[in-house]
Amino acid sequence: MGLTEKRLLIIGRNGAGKSNLLEAVEVLGSLRSHRSGNDQDLINWGEKRAVLRAVADNQDNLELELRRKGGRQARRNEKLLARQLDFLGPLRCVGFSALDLGLVRQEPAVRRHWLDRVVMQLEPVYSDLITRFNKLLRQRSQLWRNWAHSSSQERNSLLDAFDVQMALVSTRIHRRRGRALRRLEPLAAIWQERLSQGRENLVLDYLPGSCLEGEEEEESWRLSIENQLMAQRVDEERLGSCKIGPHRDEVEFLLNGLPARRFGSAGQQRTLVLALKLAELELVGELYGEPPLLLLDDVLAELDQMRQLLLLEAVGEDHQCLVSATHLDLFEGEWKRNSQVLEAEFLMGK
Amino acid sequence: MYLLRQPEDKVQKFSNALLAARSQVGQCQKCFHLSAEPECEICRNLERSEDQICVVADSRDLIALERTREYKGLYHVLGGLISPMDGISPELLEVSSLIKRVDQYQTKEVILALTPSVEGDTTSLYLARLLKPFTQVSRIAYGLPVGSELEYADEVTLTRALEGRRSMD
Repeated sequence: MGLTEKRLLIIGRNGAGKSNLLEAVEVLGSLRSHRSGNDQDLINWGEKRAVLRAVADNQDNLELELRRKGGRQARRNEKLLARQLDFLGPLRCVGFSALDLGLVRQEPAVRRHWLDRVVMQLEPVYSDLITRFNKLLRQRSQLWRNWAHSSSQERNSLLDAFDVQMALVSTRIHRRRGRALRRLEPLAAIWQERLSQGRENLVLDYLPGSCLEGEEEEESWRLSIENQLMAQRVDEERLGSCKIGPHRDEVEFLLNGLPARRFGSAGQQRTLVLALKLAELELVGELYGEPPLLLLDDVLAELDQMRQLLLLEAVGEDHQCLVSATHLDLFEGEWKRNSQVLEAEFLMGK
Repeated sequence: MYLLRQPEDKVQKFSNALLAARSQVGQCQKCFHLSAEPECEICRNLERSEDQICVVADSRDLIALERTREYKGLYHVLGGLISPMDGISPELLEVSSLIKRVDQYQTKEVILALTPSVEGDTTSLYLARLLKPFTQVSRIAYGLPVGSELEYADEVTLTRALEGRRSMD
């Protein structure tokens, strides 16, 4: 399939494979899917492997093979890459799907996940920190279960070893999340103001899951978290889970000083998600010197005409976009202009 | 397939060798490296210094370190890494034997050479705390593979290398 225009509109009934196509582009661009963290879910039922191919800017031949056994193989211009990080770059994209509309309303984990994806774009090392932290957390809770009846001295010296590692990794995650939000906030605030015609002031409030006092300084935060981990052990034994750390982080979106999650109208929440996505688009474009590919999965229909137009205006002529919808007439005339239309029935043909 | 095409006596010899290895190779009583004798070659070698003990997770790591021909001290093979998720606690590893050994032989330095994973780091931190009353504890550095260009190193390795930097004197 070749792209001839800046915009590709993918039209098709439910289940025709529209989201599949966009997801394939997303995985090629970011090596992860917003839908699932597990490659097994991305491979067709009954198949051993899935192969994704794309040509970026007419020069980079990208091929990613997902296998049921043996993990992934990434090839760029027919060369097998030793490191998957080398695969990133030619196809940067920012995705916006109907699932994202729950960002404001749903549980904190959804916002942490969103924030993590932003930070990973800014700092590739971050994904290693998150993997490490999750492993530490799982090992730690298993430790409590295994050693429930053994001598507390041995258990405590093992917990000490976990505290030291978790304090360091937590500090680094907290700092990076905070930093990313501070970069995102001014951009998002401008979009919120524009989309609400000057009525809404947006603040992104980071509420860390560890108590972070004083100056932002790695060593003092690390020591403080280590002490907090030590102090909560009695509670941890009783509750069976650790209540200190970035897995308890929350991001609060404040509109005119009030939490949008509880006090925002459905329309305001929708605008907010849009503002956050546009800010992300801008940030990624700024960072890499070229506008990323925008993937809009079944999301235009969810926005009213005014927001559709504002989104169109914001995206402008710079961004290449792939847009999916069930009906062509959902689009404003402006969207259809300069667009290539693909009927999605053909996607499942082969 | 290859074995099926070989003469019978050759295959017989090969299988005898495998069986012999299985029954004769045990563990060194001192360092728990693979050994056919009660004490392994390294522990018996009088030229090796008793001042240093290098702690590794298993015999494969020891063999890798031996290939360098640089290290002249002794080893201690733990037999794994602490991992609650896999049910591996310190009692299942050669930890108490290590402490006893260090105490008994007045070892001057213990070098921890474990992989930098969550399990490796947990084991290192746990051992370091236990060993500190008896001896000096150090850990191997993590960083760039020799012969590779800095610009091609991945970010995680580079970060580790930066953390483990040394002042030049």
